[in-house]
Amino acid sequence: MLRINADSLVEVAVYGEVWPPSAARDPYKATSEGLAAVTLGMAGICFQNRVGDPAFGWEADHLEPGVSIRNQHDGAEHALHYLACIGNEAVVTSGASRGARGTVTGEHAHVLVDFPPASIELLAIGDRIQVKAYGTGLQLLDHPDVQLHKCSPRLLEALRLESLPDGRLQVPVVAEIPSQLMGSGAELMADYVDQDFMTGDRAEMARLGLDRLRLGDIVLVRDQDHTWGRGYYEGAVTIGLIIHGDSAWAGHGPGVLDLMSSRGPAIAGVPDADANIAWRLGLRDPAADDVRAPGAVSSYAGIEQV
Amino acid sequence: MFDNREQLIGVSVQGTIVSPEYPPLPATPYVIGADGRPQLLPSQGGIVYNVRVGDSAFGWLADLVQPGVSIRAGAETANQALNVLSCLGNEAIVVSGQATGARGTVIGKSGRFAEHVIVHFAPETLEQLAIEDKVLVRAYGRSLALTDYTDVQLKSISPQLLDALEVEPDTPGALTVPVAAEAPAFLVGAGSGLMHESGCIQIQTDHKDALAEHGLDELRLGDVVAVRDYDSRWGNGYLKDAVCVGVVVHGDSPRAGYGPGVTVIMASTNNRIRPTLRAERNIAELLGLGTAVEAPA
Repeated sequence: MLRINADSLVEVAVYGEVWPPSAARDPYKATSEGLAAVTLGMAGICFQNRVGDPAFGWEADHLEPGVSIRNQHDGAEHALHYLACIGNEAVVTSGASRGARGTVTGEHAHVLVDFPPASIELLAIGDRIQVKAYGTGLQLLDHPDVQLHKCSPRLLEALRLESLPDGRLQVPVVAEIPSQLMGSGAELMADYVDQDFMTGDRAEMARLGLDRLRLGDIVLVRDQDHTWGRGYYEGAVTIGLIIHGDSAWAGHGPGVLDLMSSRGPAIAGVPDADANIAWRLGLRDPAADDVRAPGAVSSYAGIEQV
Repeated sequence: MFDNREQLIGVSVQGTIVSPEYPPLPATPYVIGADGRPQLLPSQGGIVYNVRVGDSAFGWLADLVQPGVSIRAGAETANQALNVLSCLGNEAIVVSGQATGARGTVIGKSGRFAEHVIVHFAPETLEQLAIEDKVLVRAYGRSLALTDYTDVQLKSISPQLLDALEVEPDTPGALTVPVAAEAPAFLVGAGSGLMHESGCIQIQTDHKDALAEHGLDELRLGDVVAVRDYDSRWGNGYLKDAVCVGVVVHGDSPRAGYGPGVTVIMASTNNRIRPTLRAERNIAELLGLGTAVEAPA
């Protein structure tokens, strides 16, 4: 059992409202290949798409699964962003779905909350959702070189971490992402939203198999130090969570939310195809009918670079 | 080599000299270095008296120092036009204050969170300038294209700078571009996924050995550099065999993911741009902006 300082953490309520999707009068943006495309996909209530679904293959940009919330007051909005941790409990506190309970599964333009679908059939845009924020300041007491971001004690337990005899922290991960693919989000601190991995090189996606990732997958990013910002550092290791879907914009792709990072080699990944928070937190059953599998082959297989 | 410069229009865009800025209370004024250490440093903006294009991009006690004068327009839409339409090498004219009529040159554009256009003026002009003085840019060069090289995009580049680059024909459809240095894609940090018709991408400098290994630790402000496996045609992102060329526009930073900024002026895929290393590829010399002062020890 890993020793943590959970007893020292303060649990505090933060809140947001179910936030509507928004569009500009001219909704088109250029894709990485120079085609005009409508770029909707964020915010609102995603009735069909939940954590555990494939991260690729949707007709949406930066798909935010589940329910997207934000706070209209700037300070409270930042508190929601910085204090809500992955795995925290959320509850609907207004409207017809009052009392429904969900789980925080991501932080992007909005904080993303997953609910059992039957419990939110009457959830409305504007309904208030409160999060029991618990996890800021969390530390692995026997791994001082591993910095945690947005991990709740509940998430840490679900990740099936182990201390290795050589002192490293072993983390089960679905895939590894090489440093040169890390894109939009390098300009932000590691405690604020996510960093996309770049999917514009479709042949490279097929080669690495990254286009078969799911929302909720745990991944390892090599040679990236995300302790105090996001940048290249040889030997550094970062563990992330796939929180939103793919994008057609250059420099964008599925979002990797930082969970832990080490400037040195203090973290070791171990392959585990089931390292996904949808099942590990008990939010969904991977064998259930409503869980769609990623394509059997890469969606970019056979694409030749011209 | 033929281009479409006769079809381009010259149009006015305008900004005012910006003050350096810090977030209001209760925020602290510190930037957090990659090592987690808070540091208090001059931020972007203002009139920078002792750092000029041609100087070292490293060694200054400042976060992302922008040489010379930084300007922006008040309204967001007008500032977008200032940032998108201004081209490196364009003429800038002071149109208010004590230095009215003084002429300078656009030498860069900063990225997300600043959105400034960076302008070089002679030292005697800097002495006369005041924050909030108005600077007009004669924007000319947007939509510039090379007739026989349709797979090479030009952006944020004036015809004057294009002429000075000494670009040469290579195999059909491909160009040789002399540059001071080449960066690999993994050293590009902040700027990926952000603006590409304005702003810049940053050559991140946290890992000093990697920087030195690629000969990037002696970059100067104004250097022309190439980035390999990086596609800046319709955004900024990784793509094998894509090459972009840009100009170093601001200095280093202690922050993770940050470092000297490169405003992109050429973009291509499939190795249609062939960078070739050559000494003294700096816009201070190429545009005749005067002698560089010494870099700090």
